[in-house]
Amino acid sequence: MVFFIARRLLYLVPVLIAVSLLTFSIASLLPGDLAYVILGDQATPEKVAALRADMGLDQPILWRYLGWLGHVLQGDFGRSFRTGQTVLQAVAERLPISIELMLLAQLGALAIGVPVAIICAARSGGPFDRFMTGTAFGMLSVPTFLSAILLIYLFAVELRVLPATGYVPLAEDPLANLRFFVLPSLTLVLAEWPGIMRVLRSDMIATLQEDYIALAKAKGLTPSRILFVHALKPSSLTLVTVTGINIGRLIGGAVIVETIFALPGIGRLLVSAISTRDLIILQGVVLLVAAGFVIMNFIVDTLYAVLDPRIRHGHA
Amino acid sequence: MKAPTRASKLAPIFLVTAFATGMLATPASAQKQGGSITVGLELDITGFDPLKVGVFDTAALTAASAMFETLTYLDDKGETKPKLALSWVPSDDFKTWTFKLRPGVKFHDGTPFNAEAYKANFDRQKDPANKCRCAFYISGVKDVQAPDELTLVYHLADPAVNFPALVSYSNQNAAVQSPTAWKTKGDDYNRNPVGTGPYMLKSWTAGDRMILERNPDYWDKDKIYLDRIILKPLPDAQSRFASLQSGEADLVWDDEWDADNVQKAQKDSKLTVHTYTGSGASVAAFNTKVAPLDDVRVRQALVMALDRKKWSQATTNGLAKPATNPYGDGSWVKCKDDGALPYDVEKAKALIKDYGKPVEFKMLFTATPRGRANGQVLQQFWKQVGANMEIEQVDQATIPPRAFMRQFQVTPWRIVDLADPDTQMYANFHTGSPVALANYSDPELDKLLEDARTTVEIDKRIEDYCAVSRLINKEAIWFWNFQNTYYAISSAKVKGLPKMYSGVIDVSRTWKE
Repeated sequence: MVFFIARRLLYLVPVLIAVSLLTFSIASLLPGDLAYVILGDQATPEKVAALRADMGLDQPILWRYLGWLGHVLQGDFGRSFRTGQTVLQAVAERLPISIELMLLAQLGALAIGVPVAIICAARSGGPFDRFMTGTAFGMLSVPTFLSAILLIYLFAVELRVLPATGYVPLAEDPLANLRFFVLPSLTLVLAEWPGIMRVLRSDMIATLQEDYIALAKAKGLTPSRILFVHALKPSSLTLVTVTGINIGRLIGGAVIVETIFALPGIGRLLVSAISTRDLIILQGVVLLVAAGFVIMNFIVDTLYAVLDPRIRHGHA
Repeated sequence: MKAPTRASKLAPIFLVTAFATGMLATPASAQKQGGSITVGLELDITGFDPLKVGVFDTAALTAASAMFETLTYLDDKGETKPKLALSWVPSDDFKTWTFKLRPGVKFHDGTPFNAEAYKANFDRQKDPANKCRCAFYISGVKDVQAPDELTLVYHLADPAVNFPALVSYSNQNAAVQSPTAWKTKGDDYNRNPVGTGPYMLKSWTAGDRMILERNPDYWDKDKIYLDRIILKPLPDAQSRFASLQSGEADLVWDDEWDADNVQKAQKDSKLTVHTYTGSGASVAAFNTKVAPLDDVRVRQALVMALDRKKWSQATTNGLAKPATNPYGDGSWVKCKDDGALPYDVEKAKALIKDYGKPVEFKMLFTATPRGRANGQVLQQFWKQVGANMEIEQVDQATIPPRAFMRQFQVTPWRIVDLADPDTQMYANFHTGSPVALANYSDPELDKLLEDARTTVEIDKRIEDYCAVSRLINKEAIWFWNFQNTYYAISSAKVKGLPKMYSGVIDVSRTWKE
C-alpha cells in the first residue's frame, strides 16, 4: 500500500509540470499582448517596446517559464501587477468560499442522488424509476445560469426569503453565511445530482444481476440489506470517480454560479485575472487549482484501492 | 442647453469668491441623517494607487469620489465650484492657473493637505521613472508648483480656458491621495487608500465588499448624511437587478445594454432610474488614406446609410441616443447646424454608383457579443446601399495599437466625457496627432481647432467647434454612433444623487428617506 501511494505521488510531478507549462504558454499566447492591455489607449509602438523590455516580455517564452518556475519552487508565486496582492494572499482569501460552496453542493447532490439511485435501481423499469430518470435527464439539460436566475427570482425577488447575491464570512456569522450559500449551492445541486444518480443507478442495476446477489436473495436476506450492504459498495466505484472529479472541478470555482451570486471565490478571481490579463494571478491560481485537482484524483485512486482490493494488488 | 448662461457667467468663474461654503444647492426635501447605502457595481475594484491601476474604472470612481477629493467640482448646472481649492485665477494666456487651497484640511491619516501634498501627487504620476499609465492624461501639464502652503500653480503646455473644470472629478489624476500613506505602505497602499474625502475605508474584502465609514473630521460634514457606504461588485446584470428588487442593494450601476431592466425599473414606482447624457460619443474613424475610403463619396454614402434609430432599437431596445456630432447633450457646445448628413438610402446608393468601383472593406470590432451585434447591424445598413463590409473581431486591447499604426480601414473609438472638448478634439483631428486616426489633414480644420483652444469667449468657441463639426461631417472622416449615456437604478428612497458627470456615480452626499 505504501509503495502504491508513493508511486502515485511520483506521478503528480510530471502532471503538474505539464499543467504549468501549458498554462504559461496559453496565457502568453492569448490575443492582446499584456503590454497593450496595460497601456490601453496610449499603446504607441515605442511605449509598448519599452514596457515589454521592462517586464521581461521580450524574453523567449521558455526562459520566462523557467524563471517563474524557479520562484514557484521557492514558494514565491508572485504578485499581481494590478492589485499588489500576492497570489497566495488572493487565493487564501477566496479559497474558503469556493470550498464551502463545493462541499455544500456535493453533500446536497449526494443526499438527493444516492437514495434516488438506490430506489430506482431496486425497482428499475418501474414508474418511479421512469419518472426520476426522466426528471434527471431534464435537469441535466438546464444550464446553471438559467436555474440560478429562476431561483433568485423565486426566492429573493418574489418570496423574499433568501438573499439574491452577496456573502458574509463564516467566522463573522455562521447562520447568515449559510443563508447566502443556500441558493448558489442549490443551483449546483440541481445540476449535479442527476449525474450522480444516473451513474450509481446503472452500476447498481448491473451489480444486482450478479450471481452473488441471487445467492443472497436465495439465502433469504432482506432486500434492504442486499441493497445497502451487498450491492452499494461494489457499485460505487464510478460514483467515487464522478464525485472526485466534481470536487476537483469545483475547487477551481464554479465560475458561473460565483459570478451570478457575486460570491468572491476562486472562479471570480480567475475570470477577473483573465479579463485584466493578470498573468501572475492567472498562472498561480491555475497551478494551485491543478495541484488540488490532481491530489483529489490521487485520493480517488487510493479510495478505489480501499473499495476494491483487486486494484490494490494490480489485478484489475 | 447652458451655453448662454455659461457665457454670461464667464467672469465669475475665473475668480470664484473665496469661502463659498455651501457645497451643493440645498435640495427640496429635508435630508435624513444616518443609515447606510449599499451600492452594486459591475466590476471588482482593483485598487487606487494610480501607479498600479493606471486608470480608475467606473467602480473605482464611485469609491474614489467618496474617499478622495479634487480641487473643484461641477454643480448640477455644470458650473465649476470650489472643493479643495477656494478660488482660482488664470494668466492672460491661460497657460498658468493659480489655485488658492482650502486651509485646515487633513487626510484620514492626519497628514495635512497643502500645496506640497498636491504637488507630491502630481510629481509621482508625472515622473517618467514611475512609468504610470496615468501620466498620459496629464501630458498637457508641464509642471505644478507649490510657492507656499496654500498656493498651487499649474503650468500648462497649451492654453486651457476651462482648466478648473478638468480637475473636477476623482479620477486617477485629480483625486488627491495622502503622500505619507503611499510612502509608508508601499505595495499595500493600493488597497489601503487614504484621502481627504467624507468617507474613509473601514474594511475591504477582495471581490466581495468595501465598507466606507463617515469621516468625523470632514471639513464639510454638515452636508454628509449617511454613516456608511457599502460597495459590492455584482458582476451579473440580472442578479444585480434582482438584488435591487429584493432590497439587498439600494443603488446599482447599469448601462443601456441592460435595457430590459432599465425599462422595467422605469415603470416601477419603488425604483428610480437615474440617467445622464454626458458629452462625447461612441464613434468610428475611416482611414482616409486607403481605397475605397479615400473617396469622400464612399464615406458620405456609408454615413448616410446609417439608421441610428433602428440601430439603437436593435441593440439596446431604443435606449441608446443617436449622436450627430462629437459633443453630445452634456456638452456646452450646442450647434444650430452641426452639418450632420441625413439618413438617406437613395442618395447613398447614388453616391456609391457614382464612385463606380466595388466598395469592399473591413471594420474592426471588439471580440464581444456587443461588438458582433454592432458589426451585424452596420453590415446590413451598408449592404442596402451596395457596400460590403467584412467584420473583423479583435481583442479589445488590440484596437488601440492597430489604430495608432493605422492598420485598419474603419475602427471603433470613443470620445470620452470631459468637461471641455479641447483636449480630445485637438488630439483627434489636428494634423500630425497620433490619435488623428482618419489620416486626414486640412489647414482650415487645424486653424479652427487652434482658435478654439486659445479663445476665451464661450460663444466664439462654440462657433469654432460647430464649424469643426460641420467640416468633419461634410468630409465624413469620422462618424458618430451614440452619445455617452449613463444609468444607475436605485430604490425610490435614495435621494440626493448628483448628476453623473463622466459617468461617475457619487453617492457621498446622498441620503435615504
